[in-house]
This record gives sequence, structure tokens and C-alpha cells, in this order.
Amino acid sequence: MKKYYFDNCKTSQPAPEVIEAMMPYLKDKFIFPANFVSAGSTAAEELEGFKKIIADSIGANTSEIHFTSSGTTANNIAIKGFLSENAKHGTHIIVSVIDYPDLLTNAAFFEKSGFDVTYLETDEDGFINLEQLENAIRPDTIMFMTTFVNHTVGSIQPIKKIREILDTADHKIVMHVDAGQAYGKLPINANELGIDLMSISAHKIHGPQGVGALYQRKGVIIGHVIHGINRLDNHQTGAVSMANIAGFSKAVELTFRDFNQNVNHLRELSNYLLEKIEKTIPYTLLNGPRGESRAPHNINVSFDYIEGEAIMLMMDMAGISVATGSACASQGLKANYILMAMGRNHEQSHSSMKFTLSRYNTKEEIDYAVEKLAEIVKELRSRSPLYNKE
Amino acid sequence: MQYSQKVLDHFMKPHNIGKIENPDAEATEGSPACGDQISIYLKINAKTQVIEDIKFQSYGCASNIATGSIITDIAMGKTLKEAKKIGWKEAADALDGLPPIKMHCSVLAVDTLHKAIKDYEVKHNLAEADKFNKETIVEELKKVIYPQVGEDIVTLKMVKYAGFENGVAIIDLEIPKFDEHRDNVVEEIREHLEHYKEIKEVKITI
Repeated sequence: MKKYYFDNCKTSQPAPEVIEAMMPYLKDKFIFPANFVSAGSTAAEELEGFKKIIADSIGANTSEIHFTSSGTTANNIAIKGFLSENAKHGTHIIVSVIDYPDLLTNAAFFEKSGFDVTYLETDEDGFINLEQLENAIRPDTIMFMTTFVNHTVGSIQPIKKIREILDTADHKIVMHVDAGQAYGKLPINANELGIDLMSISAHKIHGPQGVGALYQRKGVIIGHVIHGINRLDNHQTGAVSMANIAGFSKAVELTFRDFNQNVNHLRELSNYLLEKIEKTIPYTLLNGPRGESRAPHNINVSFDYIEGEAIMLMMDMAGISVATGSACASQGLKANYILMAMGRNHEQSHSSMKFTLSRYNTKEEIDYAVEKLAEIVKELRSRSPLYNKE
Repeated sequence: MQYSQKVLDHFMKPHNIGKIENPDAEATEGSPACGDQISIYLKINAKTQVIEDIKFQSYGCASNIATGSIITDIAMGKTLKEAKKIGWKEAADALDGLPPIKMHCSVLAVDTLHKAIKDYEVKHNLAEADKFNKETIVEELKKVIYPQVGEDIVTLKMVKYAGFENGVAIIDLEIPKFDEHRDNVVEEIREHLEHYKEIKEVKITI
């Protein structure tokens, strides 16, 4: 059966060029980057080249990029490294209730060890409350963290405006940004946006799994988080996977080579998907904003009277991969915390379906998916005691 | 987490789905807020007490739909007395098992069937409506499944104390503080107890 993949926010298919770029490093070029011996020096030079590709894509210098084993590792090195090193300057941090779990679990970890955490609220479209941010800033606030593009509803946080608010403080407040869902979907210039620390991940942009990067603005000091052998720099402890890094930079090259074209394609597809769903299926509700303040690859819709795991499973049987915010599909049996924070009720959260698109998706695939979705929604509604329409 | 082929079959093509017009008895349990609700409708032969027709409707996940389907299959043609003996483990077994985290779906389906039968018995003076007392609370707690292992919290000895004083149900639980299912268990207990008009407040201590 042909597979229709619309869960690219979770992970995306590696591009064929990416796999090709990785292969030499899995075969003959297995040597670690090092000085003096010829193979090691070549690897070290190549590594610098890969770093430059990543750095250029976000307007950074190569010295500001550290490769990590995932976006989550980058988040941990940034948050734990910064807070443990800078606790002497203050122990107050700000995050929002709709942030990515990496940020929220780290905030909770530091809260337990004595930090004060302010959790900003969200509006009904998934944008953090900026007025609350202004009021939350204190003399001992040392860090603000945010998720650039919300992983559930695609809302794009106004980073530049946030920077301006943080800069009204009499002291420097470091901003850490999880850009896992933003990188490759929006133009990001870390310097211009005033971002101090930022995590990105390869497998969200058709790169390999198991590699990410941390951007650390020059002058922002973070302590060691992972101790051990120091092969390249302080934050890249342990062995590096040259194959993954090579694949990552190839994915970056491909993403940014035709950046505008890729983004326009995603925007066009997601508009088409939403329009088609809203035209074909009654009693739906878009979660998150409409238009340009939404990431171009994300559509999240709730379907009244039915439950999301059932929809997801039937879609799966038709060869279509999508995600749901239903409690029944979660490990902890809890309704999606982001939708609930946005003021959606339990039913709306349980029935939410998330489509995240990639440059490999086509209009024809969307036609098929929505046709199946309409059938499935109709079938499940006919079984539901809550649905008395027809 | 995997569903058995039988669960998938019953989910994709459920048996006895729909509504019976003018049923002899019916019951609806669960709530959309919790993500699962099931309604069961019965047609009963007044002379033989045999369930001659049974249908269900479901708002819920795949296992909710599959357990509704299997429970109506099992109950069809049985006498009320026989149908009352159907337990949630039997329903889950008939589906070749359910993932532990989904075991509560079986409890919900069986509980709804029992409530529908009770509805019939009370209407026809075959039984008295349940009187509420402390035992009711324990019986309800036996329907709360700890999702990690798919067993109820009473059997698992997670309930240290259950009491009822002046309209307050008092439950003392033993669940580790960082257990990921703790909030879910607490929510489930509330869902089971709060609809009793005798209970004005549910106090849960952990």
C-alpha cells in the first residue's frame, strides 16, 4: 500500500541526497576529526565545512555552533549549562505553559532545585501573553525560554518583540529558543532576532535522526553538562558521528537552496488542506492561528462528536500517518496540554488531528487523505451517541 | 502498544452498532471529557428474560468501540441472569487481550451493560435500585484501572482507605508522587464517584 506521510513534525524522511552524503563516513571515512595525522585533519576540515553550512543558515559564526546528538540534547546543554553556570546572577526563569516538553521538564527540574519559574499563559491561538511577560521580569530573572514555532498548533512566537521586552530590563536576560519546528520553515537570523541560545534538529528537515545543533551566541557562557573526553569543544563531549553531521549539513543545504520555493510549496499545500477539510467536512474547528502567523507546514483541526485515536487508527489503515491530541493516544492518558491551555475543552482536544507537511507531499496526496478523512469522520460520527445530526 | 487483530476487526467493522428505538432498557456511561462514552440499548423478552436484541453507540477510541462490539456479541441471546455475570476480563479475553492502558474501556463497556440490565430490573420490579453506602464506593473503585498494568486499584492494593462521612467520600491512595498515571487515576476516581447525588465532595489524599 502506498504510504501517505503527514507527521513530519515528529520526524521526516531522510532525503536521498542526505543518505548519499552520509555513506562515505559509514565506510572509509570513519576516522575522527583530529590534528596532525592526514585522515584526521581532513575530517576536521570537513567538520568545519559542515559547521559553516549550519552557521550560515542562521546568520551565525562557526564558533557559535556545537553539534549535539539531538535537539533535546541541545536544549539540555543550553538550559542546564546556562542556569548552573549563572545561578549566582539570579534564580528566576520564565517559560510558558505551551512550550515544548524539553523546556517545561527542564524548568520543573530547576524549580525543584530552588529556582523560581514564571509560567506565562497563552491566548486562544497559541501566542504567549506578552503583557504577562513584561510584568514577570524581575531583577533576578536570568533566562527566558520559548518554542519558536509551537509543535502542536504552529503558532509563531514574535521573537523580535520578545527580545525588545526582555531588553527593557536593567540587566541582560538570556533568551533560549527551541527552534525544532521553526528551522527550515521560517527565515531565522539568530543575531538579528537577539537569540542567545537556540536548538535545532536534523531529522525535522529530512536529515538523519540522532543529530542536532546548539547555537550559542558569542559571549553567552554556559557550563559543562556532559563531562567526559573532550574531542572538539567543551560542549561536544564524546564521539561525534561524522555521518550524521554530513547528512545534517546536506539536509540544510537542500532546505536553504530553494528556501522560498519550499516554504511557498508548504504554505500552498497547508492552505489547500485546510480549505479542503473545511469545505468537505462539517463541524470542524481549526486549532491555532490562521494565515502568516502560523508555520507553513502545520494544520491542526478538531472534529466534533468523535475521538482522535479512532480517527488516527483508521487513517493509519488507509496508509495515512497523522497525529492526534487525544488522551487515548497518549502514554499518560491526558488531553493535549497545549490545546487545553488555549481554552479548548476536553472533547475538542481529544478529537484534534495534526497534519505536518513536508516538501515531499503533493496536492494529490492531500486529495486522497481528505477523501479518506471525510469517510472516516462520517463513519465514526454514525457510531457516536453524541452525534444526532442527520 | 499494539492492538490484537481481533480488536482491530471489531473496531473497523463493529457488530451491533446503532440505536434501538423504544428499547426496553438503556444506559450511558463515561463522558466525552474523559474521551470515552458508551450507550447500550436492550430488547428483552419479558417472559424468558432473554436479551433478544442489543445495540451500542460509542464515542471513543478503537478499544472502546471494539469492547462495545464484543460485549454486545457476548450478551446477545443470554438471559439477564447470565449477562450479569459477564466481567470485564472476559470481554478483554474475548478480544485476545487489550493493552493494559486500554483495560478501562472493557470496564466501561461491561459496567454500561450491567447498568442497562439494572435499569430493566428496576423498571420491572425485579430488583431494587442500588442503595448508596460505603460499599458502593469500594465497588466503584474496583472499576478504576491503573493503566500501567491493566488491573483495578483495589486489587492492586493502591487504596489504603475508603470511607464515607457526612456526604464526603474519603479516599486514601498509595501511588508514588512521580507516577505518570497518578493524575489519571485521581481523575477516574472522581468521574466514578461524583455523579452519585449522595456524594457532595470527593476527598482524595495521596
